[in-house]
Amino acid sequence: MNYVLHLLIMIGIYLILSYGLNLVVGFGGLLSLCHAVFYGIGAYTGTLLMIKAGLPFLPAIFLGMVITGLFALIVGLPALRFRGDSFVLVTLGFQMIVFTILYNWIDLTRGPYGIPGIPRPVIAGVEVTELYQYFILVSLFLVVIVAILFVVCRSPFGLALKALRDDEMAAEGLGKSPVHLFLYAFVISGMVASLAGGLYATYVTYIDPTSFTLDESIFLLAILLVGGTGNMIGPLVGTVFMILLPEALRFLGLPDTVAPNVRQMIYGLTLITLMFLRPQGIAGEFKLR
Amino acid sequence: MKGLKIKKLSKAMNGLKIVEQVTANFLPGRITALIGPNGAGKTTLFHLITSELKVDKGEIVYGDETITNLPPYLVARKGVGRLFQDIRVFGNMTAFENVATACYGPCFETPWFPFFNLKRMKSINNDIRERAFHWLNFVDLAEKKDHPAASLSYGQQKLLAIARLLAGGFSLLLLDEPTAGLNPVMIKNVLRLLEKIITEDRSKTVILVEHNMGVVNEVADWVYFMNEGRIAFFGRTDHVLGDKEVREIYLGL
Repeated sequence: MNYVLHLLIMIGIYLILSYGLNLVVGFGGLLSLCHAVFYGIGAYTGTLLMIKAGLPFLPAIFLGMVITGLFALIVGLPALRFRGDSFVLVTLGFQMIVFTILYNWIDLTRGPYGIPGIPRPVIAGVEVTELYQYFILVSLFLVVIVAILFVVCRSPFGLALKALRDDEMAAEGLGKSPVHLFLYAFVISGMVASLAGGLYATYVTYIDPTSFTLDESIFLLAILLVGGTGNMIGPLVGTVFMILLPEALRFLGLPDTVAPNVRQMIYGLTLITLMFLRPQGIAGEFKLR
Repeated sequence: MKGLKIKKLSKAMNGLKIVEQVTANFLPGRITALIGPNGAGKTTLFHLITSELKVDKGEIVYGDETITNLPPYLVARKGVGRLFQDIRVFGNMTAFENVATACYGPCFETPWFPFFNLKRMKSINNDIRERAFHWLNFVDLAEKKDHPAASLSYGQQKLLAIARLLAGGFSLLLLDEPTAGLNPVMIKNVLRLLEKIITEDRSKTVILVEHNMGVVNEVADWVYFMNEGRIAFFGRTDHVLGDKEVREIYLGL
């Protein structure tokens, strides 16, 4: 039961992450390789605000979101001067920079030692410690975030973003400002990732930079590629699939000596097969370039 | 009443002069055609007006505002709309969405707008839906409203792009070969549409790049003849098309 609850909580956190990223990747058509950075900045700012500044859980999380939003703005301004491959490379560069900072700024982040003993969230006097309580907390945040993103994606803003994705020149010719619209999307997606970071940090009560590596960014992108983008179902399908597949492979009964490697290989092979069968993702509307 | 004035416009790319000292005047309530051989600089001139390309020298004035080298989205917001030679519909969006997105102005397009206008959203969306359907009907595409634009035929995509352009409420229309690739019936429809646009709203200015001289003859009031980046000839339609030089260089008669 605890195992199932743990999986559900992780799925909840990753759903928040992938729905946020969906705004940039699915609606904006921009492949961002630094989503884990915003996830990480959210986890670290939330944690540090709670531990060092003594803020309660909710204010710490929200302030963390604002700070991450500013970071996203600072990254987005130069990055969004580029499109296509160049944009991917710029976000990759930012991913490397922030990871290195998290890893080496020992005074602030304790670097590779990580930060242990992160306090559990206290909401309205109730300390969230049990798994089922945590599951409820994550679900509540997830519902609110998905509701907000649903409205945003269905709004004129979401429509204009899709227009820019499909043909930037034509959309600009209709008066859509790529700089503004992409920047809004980028900042919102960063803030949503930050929230997921705060939830993750207080859930596992320990963070270190290795949770927020390039691998993590690629994993988040893979969720969207597998599930499909540009709608509200794709991220759900992708997240459930990508988190449950490796778990399911545990039950194959492989000999212990080769199990981890074989699991990785099956995992990779499944992804490759899927891309052959459905390049637009399981529930996707369009194929990412 | 806004007219478009182009003053001594020049553009070179890779050392090649593509548009050279072009001065032209486009009047509201009129359809002006831009003709000339391939590579004469007609499409480049459109690119310069909409700022897709940067102007080297010269000035573009629309109404009483200089729009030279403004970012393309700001040029569009001044009322300059364009039909692209290669159509450029939003392929993954439905025909309806293609037109609807053109109806929304920039003030609606912030992520927070729906949250601060919860009560108004419904009436705004209904209003936009009505307008979008009006333009879809206008080009006879109403029954294709839920089809992805990419699945429409070439001619239908062109009509959709025209509907999108009209829905944008632009006062200056730059049409790059609106009839190319259309069948004769469609061409007639587009022509009727053009005449309808200009007779319904005399403040609109239409500039047309066109290789089909039948079309030019039928709808254009004035013609600029471009050759090798320069305006070689300008005048009333019958006058230009009857000119000996134009007939030799361009029409091959």
